[in-house]
Amino acid sequence: MKQGKYLAVFLVLITIITAGCSNNNAKNTAVQTNQTPKETKAAPNSEPAQSQASGTSAKEAPMLVSLVSAGTLPPLEERLPEKPDVMVEPVVDEIGRYGGKWTMAWTGPGDKWAVGQPTEEALFRFNKDGSGIEPNVAKSYEVNENSTEFTIHLRKGMKWSDGVPFTADDVLFYWEHMLTKETFGKKIYDAYYSVDPVSGDKALATVTKVDDYTFKVVHKYPSVQFLERVAIDNKWFFAPAHFHKTILPEFVGEAKALEIAKQWGFEDTTSFLKETGYYYWLYPQIPTLRPWVAKNDPNGDQFIMERNPYYWKTDADGKQLPYMDQLVATKIQDPSQRLLGTLAGDFNLSTFGAQDFTVLKENEKKGDFRVIPWQQPAWSTSGIQLNQTVADPNLRKLFQDIRFREALSVGVNRSEIAEIVTNGIADPIQASVPEGLVGYQDGWADQWAAFDPDRANALLDELGLTKRDKNQFRLFEDGKDVTITIMDSSQDNAKFTELLKKYYEDMGIKTNVKIVDQATLQELKYSNQVPASIENISVVNVAFRPDTLVPLRVLTPWYGQYGLFVSTGGKEGVKPEGDVAKILEYWDQIKAAKTTEEINSLSTEIVKLHMKNQWIIGYAGPTPTLVVASNKMANVPQNMIWADEFRSLGAAHPAQFFLKG
Amino acid sequence: MKPMTVFGRQKPANLEPEGRKDVNYSSQWRLMVLRFKKHKLARISLAVLALLYVCALLAQFLAPYSLESYDSKYVNAPPMKLRFVDADGKFHIRPFVYELQSTRDPDTMRKIFASNPEKRYALKFFVKGERYKFLGVIPTSTHLIGVEQPGRIFLLGTDALGRDMFSRILLGSQVSLSIPLVGVGISFILGLIIGGVSGYFGGWMDSVIQRIIEIIRSFPTLPLWMALSAAIPPRIPVVRMYFYIVIIFAFIEWTGLARVVRGKFISLKNEDYVVAAKIAGVGDAKIIAKHLLPGLISYLVVATTLAIPGMILAETAMSFLGLGIRAPATSWGVLLQEAQQIENIALYPWKIIPLATVIITVLTFNFLGDGLRDAADPYKR
Amino acid sequence: MLQYTLKRILLAVPVVIFISVIVFYIIQLPPGDYVSNYAAEMSVAGEVFTQEDMAAMRADLGLDRPVFEQYLIWVRDIVVHGDFGFSFNYNKPVMAVIQQYMGLTLTVSLVTMAFQYLVAIPVGIYCAVKQYSAGDYFFSGLSFLGMATPHFLLAVILMFLSYTWFGDPLLGLFSAEYVNAAWSMDKAMDLAKHMVIPVIVIGLSGTADLIRVMRGQMLDELNKPNVVTARAKGLSERKILLKYPTRAALNPIVSTFGWSLTSIFTGSTITAIVLNLPIQGPVMFNALLGQDMYLAGTWLLFMALLTVLGTLISDILLAWLDPKIRTEFRGT
Repeated sequence: MKQGKYLAVFLVLITIITAGCSNNNAKNTAVQTNQTPKETKAAPNSEPAQSQASGTSAKEAPMLVSLVSAGTLPPLEERLPEKPDVMVEPVVDEIGRYGGKWTMAWTGPGDKWAVGQPTEEALFRFNKDGSGIEPNVAKSYEVNENSTEFTIHLRKGMKWSDGVPFTADDVLFYWEHMLTKETFGKKIYDAYYSVDPVSGDKALATVTKVDDYTFKVVHKYPSVQFLERVAIDNKWFFAPAHFHKTILPEFVGEAKALEIAKQWGFEDTTSFLKETGYYYWLYPQIPTLRPWVAKNDPNGDQFIMERNPYYWKTDADGKQLPYMDQLVATKIQDPSQRLLGTLAGDFNLSTFGAQDFTVLKENEKKGDFRVIPWQQPAWSTSGIQLNQTVADPNLRKLFQDIRFREALSVGVNRSEIAEIVTNGIADPIQASVPEGLVGYQDGWADQWAAFDPDRANALLDELGLTKRDKNQFRLFEDGKDVTITIMDSSQDNAKFTELLKKYYEDMGIKTNVKIVDQATLQELKYSNQVPASIENISVVNVAFRPDTLVPLRVLTPWYGQYGLFVSTGGKEGVKPEGDVAKILEYWDQIKAAKTTEEINSLSTEIVKLHMKNQWIIGYAGPTPTLVVASNKMANVPQNMIWADEFRSLGAAHPAQFFLKG
Repeated sequence: MKPMTVFGRQKPANLEPEGRKDVNYSSQWRLMVLRFKKHKLARISLAVLALLYVCALLAQFLAPYSLESYDSKYVNAPPMKLRFVDADGKFHIRPFVYELQSTRDPDTMRKIFASNPEKRYALKFFVKGERYKFLGVIPTSTHLIGVEQPGRIFLLGTDALGRDMFSRILLGSQVSLSIPLVGVGISFILGLIIGGVSGYFGGWMDSVIQRIIEIIRSFPTLPLWMALSAAIPPRIPVVRMYFYIVIIFAFIEWTGLARVVRGKFISLKNEDYVVAAKIAGVGDAKIIAKHLLPGLISYLVVATTLAIPGMILAETAMSFLGLGIRAPATSWGVLLQEAQQIENIALYPWKIIPLATVIITVLTFNFLGDGLRDAADPYKR
Repeated sequence: MLQYTLKRILLAVPVVIFISVIVFYIIQLPPGDYVSNYAAEMSVAGEVFTQEDMAAMRADLGLDRPVFEQYLIWVRDIVVHGDFGFSFNYNKPVMAVIQQYMGLTLTVSLVTMAFQYLVAIPVGIYCAVKQYSAGDYFFSGLSFLGMATPHFLLAVILMFLSYTWFGDPLLGLFSAEYVNAAWSMDKAMDLAKHMVIPVIVIGLSGTADLIRVMRGQMLDELNKPNVVTARAKGLSERKILLKYPTRAALNPIVSTFGWSLTSIFTGSTITAIVLNLPIQGPVMFNALLGQDMYLAGTWLLFMALLTVLGTLISDILLAWLDPKIRTEFRGT
C-alpha cells in the first residue's frame, strides 16, 4: 500500500512537471501568435500618423524636424549645400515618404562591403547603364584637350555628417597626408599614374587646390580614363581633414596616435589607421558624406546606421534624402538565415545568388516580396580555368595546347550542367563576353559548346594520351598520370565539380577535386600549386579592371605565374610568351592611349585573344543576382547590372528607396 | 509482462519453464542469453539491425541505381507511387510505375513532374542495370529491383542531381553503419583498460592517467579536424579519410568511458568479495575479469550501445561542418547535410527521409542496449 | 579531504600549462594564418592583397615571429598584465569580446542545463521504478527520438515549422526591435520565446542521455541488498528511494557532470550557428576558422581550465556521494 501511495504521488509529480512544461510551451506559442499580428499592425499605424502630421510637403524627416525645433540641429537650409549646388537625385518610380528602416542581414564587420557599397558616395559614379561616369560628390569637371588636366568642382556649402564644411582642403588633405603617405595600407592607386606611350615612363599626378571648391589633377601624360579609373580604384578621393588631424601620427605624434588607437580598442596604429582611413563607414566617430552614418559598434548583433542630417541630396521636390531613417544590419551566421529571414519578412531588402531563385519565387506571395533579377557581367557561372604555368612540365605542355582545352570543352554536356547546376536558369554556352559589353563577339558563346565526346576523345588521342592505366585513365607517353586537380574554397560548387569530374573521367582524364579554405587557396596560388580552378570571370570592361584578363598579379588562376612575373618586374614567375605576351602589349598601349575609341578597340583585341585561346572554359552562362525587396520597399530599379565596378546594390541609389505606408 | 508491485521487479513467472531447472547451473552468459530472449523489444531491434546490416552488405545489389546516375531530367523528383490499378481501373498483379514527365515552371523554374498513365513500367526483379561488383568481388550488372529502360523508378524521390534517393540511402548505409563500430570498438577497449588500471591500482598511476585524460579532454578538436582535412592528399578515398577521423574521434571519446570505469572500479574494489579474493591470493587479472568486470558490465553495455548512435550522429555533424565524407561518396551524414538546406525542407521534403533511417538505427541500437542491460543484470532472478 | 583537494589543485597547474602549449600549437596547425585568412576574405569582396601587403600586416601584428615566441609573449602578458591578447577580427582586446557574449551564453547554457537535469533525473527514476510501463515506454521513446535526431537538422526543421505556423522562424535570441533595447518585461518575454527552440534542441539530446543512464543505474541499484535491508527495517519507500538507490545511481552522472560544464559552452556550437544564437560557441568557431589565435587560444585555455576544474568538482562530489570513495581519498 505504502509503495502504491508513493508511486501515486510520484506519478502526480511527473504529470505536474510535464504538464507544466507543456503549459509553458502552450503559453509561449500563444504569445507568439498574439504578438506577431499586433506588432505588424502597430508599425504601419504609427507611421502614417506621423507622416500625415508632418505632411507630404515637409522637406525633411520628422525625426530631424524635432531636433531642429529643439535647437540641437540647424535648419534644413543651413544643412544643405547652396541651392544650385544641391544634388537632385532622380527617383526610380515616385517621390517617397519619410520613415522606416531598411533591414538587412550581414555576417558581421568582415562583411563591411555589404553596408559599404549601398551607402557609398563616390566623387564620380557610373551612370545607370554603366557606359560612363557622372559627377556625384563632385559638382562638375572640365578636361583639357589631351586629357592631362582635370579641373574638378565641388559643391558649395556641402557638409560632413557632423556639420563641418566639406571643401577642396579635404581632398588635398587626403591626397597629401593619407593617400601619398599610404597611411591606410593601400598603395597609391594606378589611376593616379600616367604612362608615356613611347618610353613607358610612369608619372604620378599632381593635385592642387584652385579655390575652396575647386581642385585640379594634372597628369604628365594623357590619361583618358582617369575619371573612370578613379571611380573604380578610389571611389572617395577625400577624407574629413578635421577628424584625421586628430588621429594621424603626422599631426599628433606616434606615441599619442598609439594611445588614441588603444583608446579605440586597437592594438597597433597600423590597423587603427587602416580601419579608420579605409573602412571608415563602420565607425560612428568618423564623419562621412553617406546617406546613413554608423550609429553603434559594428561588432554587436545588430549594426545600425542612421540618416545623415547633413546629406546633400534631395529629390525633385526638394525633400532631403534619404527617405528611410535607418539601415539595420542584423548579424547572421549561416546563409540560410538570410533566406529564412527574408521569407518571414525580417529583412526587407537583401540580395541572393541564383541558386535560391525557386524557393524565393515560390514564396513571393506568402512573404509579400518581389524578386528582381539583376544581370551579372559574368563570362560564365560554371567553368574551369587551367593554370597555363602549372608546375608539372607534362601538364603545362598539355594545358597550353589548345586542342586539350577544346577536348575539355566539347567533352562536357553543357545542357546537363545548366539544368542541374543552375536549375535551368543559365544558358548552356561557352565562357564569353555577354552581349552589350565591350568586346562582345558574335558566335563566341557557341564556340566548342556542342557536346561531342567522340571529338573530345579523338583530340585527346591526337595529343598522344593514348596509353591507359588499369582504371582506363589516360597516361602521358612517358607513363605518368594525367591528373587534373581542381582547387576550390567552398562546398557550394559541389554539384558542379561532381558532374565535371564525371565528364572528365568519362574521357579518361583523372580528376581530383580538393576543397581547401580560402586562406590556404590564396597561399597555394602564390606558390603555384593550383593546377585548375572553377572560378569565374566577371568584368564589365577590361579597360576599367584588367586584372582577371590581363596577367598583372597572381590571384586569377588561368595565368598563374605569368602574373607573378609581371607584378615582380620579372624577378619571379614565368615570362609570358605568345598570345599572353600580346595581351600585355595591348594593355600597355591602353594605358598610354589618347582616345576612348582607341581604348575600346584595344580592349576588344584583348578579348579576341581570349576568344581565340579560350583559357577560361565555360559550361554555363551567367545567372542573375537576385535583389529581393519587400513589396513595401519602393523605388528599387529593375534591369540593372550587378557589378562590383558599379558598386553592386549601390548602383540603385538606395538613398531614394522608401517604405510605403 | 505485467510489472509486479515490488518496485517493478520482475517476478520470474515468465521465465520459460523448461529453462527453469538449468538456471541454477548455467553460466552467467547463458543466463544473459536466456534473459535477453525475453526482452521483446530488444529481439525486434536485433532483427531490425540485422536486416539493416544485411541491406548494407548487399546495397549495390539492392539499389536500383548507382551513386553517379545523374540525370537532369529527374532533378528533385518526388517519390513515385507504386501502383496496382491503372488509369482504366484494371488490376495488375505486378506492381508498376507510370512514366515520369518533367517540365519547368517558367515563372519559378521549379521542376514539375507528372506521371504519364499511357506508359506503364512494371516492377521487375533481377534487372540488368549499371555494372558493379557484388560484395566487392564478383562483377555483375544484376540489380534486385528495377524497371525496364528507359523507365525509371524512384521509390523515395530524387536529389538535386537527379539521383535516386532510395539507392543513396542504401549505399550510404555502408559507411554509416560500419565505421562507427570501429570507432566505438577502439574507444571501448581503450576506456576499459586504461580506466580499469587507473581505478584498480590507484596511487600515482591513477594520478598520471587522470591528468592525461584531462589533457585529452581539453583538446580543441575543431582545429585538429581542420588541420587534418588540409593535410590529407586529394586522391585519398573519402571513406578512408572518414575512417581516420573516426579513429581520432575514438581516441578522444574513450576518456569518458575510462572515467566511469575508474569510478566503478574504485567503489567495487573495496567490496567484501573483492577484498576476500585478494586476501585469498587471487591475481589482479583474475580479480578484474571475474569480480570487477561483471559488476559494471551493464553500464558498459549501455554506454557502448549509446556510443554507436553517438558516432553515427557525430558523422552527420562533421558533414555539417564540411569535414568528412563528400559526394559522390555518400553517407547518411552527407544526405542529412543536404536535407538541412531551407530550400529542401520547404520545397522537397522527401529529402528528409534519410532522417528516418538514422532515427530507426539509433533507436534499435538503444533498445538492443536496453535489452542487453536488463539481461546482464546479475540481481535479476 | 582538504589535503586531497589541495593536492589536486596543485597537480592541476602543470596540466593547465601543458594544455596551453598544446592549444597554442594546435591552433597554428591548419595552414595559413590570420593574415592570409583576412586577405582571402577581402579578396572575395574585390580587394587586392599582395604578398608584400600580407608580410607588412604580419609584421604589424607580430605574426612573423616564431610560434614559440608568440606563445611566450602571450603567456607573459597573461601572467604579468592579465592581458589575454587582442582579437584581430574584432579589433578589440580578447577579454572584451568574451565579455560581450558571456551573459547570453550563460543564460542559454544554464537554462538548457537546468532543463536537462530537472527533467532527466525525475524521469529517469520514474522510468526505472515503473519499468516497462506505458510511461516508461513513452519517456524512453521520446528521449531516444531526441537523441536520434541530429541537432542541426532538428533546429532547422523546428525553425521552419515555426515559420510556417507562426510566420516567424525565431532566429537569434531576440526579435530585431529588442536587440539593442534596454531590458524590460517585453524583452525578457521575447527572449523566453526565442529560447524555446534552443532549449528543445540542445536540451533534448542531453536529456535523453541522462534519462538512459539514470534509468539504467536505478535499475541496478533498486534490487541491491541495502535497499532490501532498508525496506525490511521499515523505512518509508520514499526515503529508501531517495537515500540509497538514487544517491548511488547519481554516481556516473556526477562523474561526468564536471565535463558537462565545458560541453554546455561548446557542445551547442552547431545548433547555435544554425539558430543564429549570439553566444560564444559560434564566435569561437569563427575565431578558429579565421585563426584569430589569441581569441581562440584564450577561449580554449578557458575551456581547459573548466575541464580541469570540472574534474575536480566531480571528484569531490563523488567523494561526498559515495562513502567508499571517500575512504579511498583519505588513503591518498
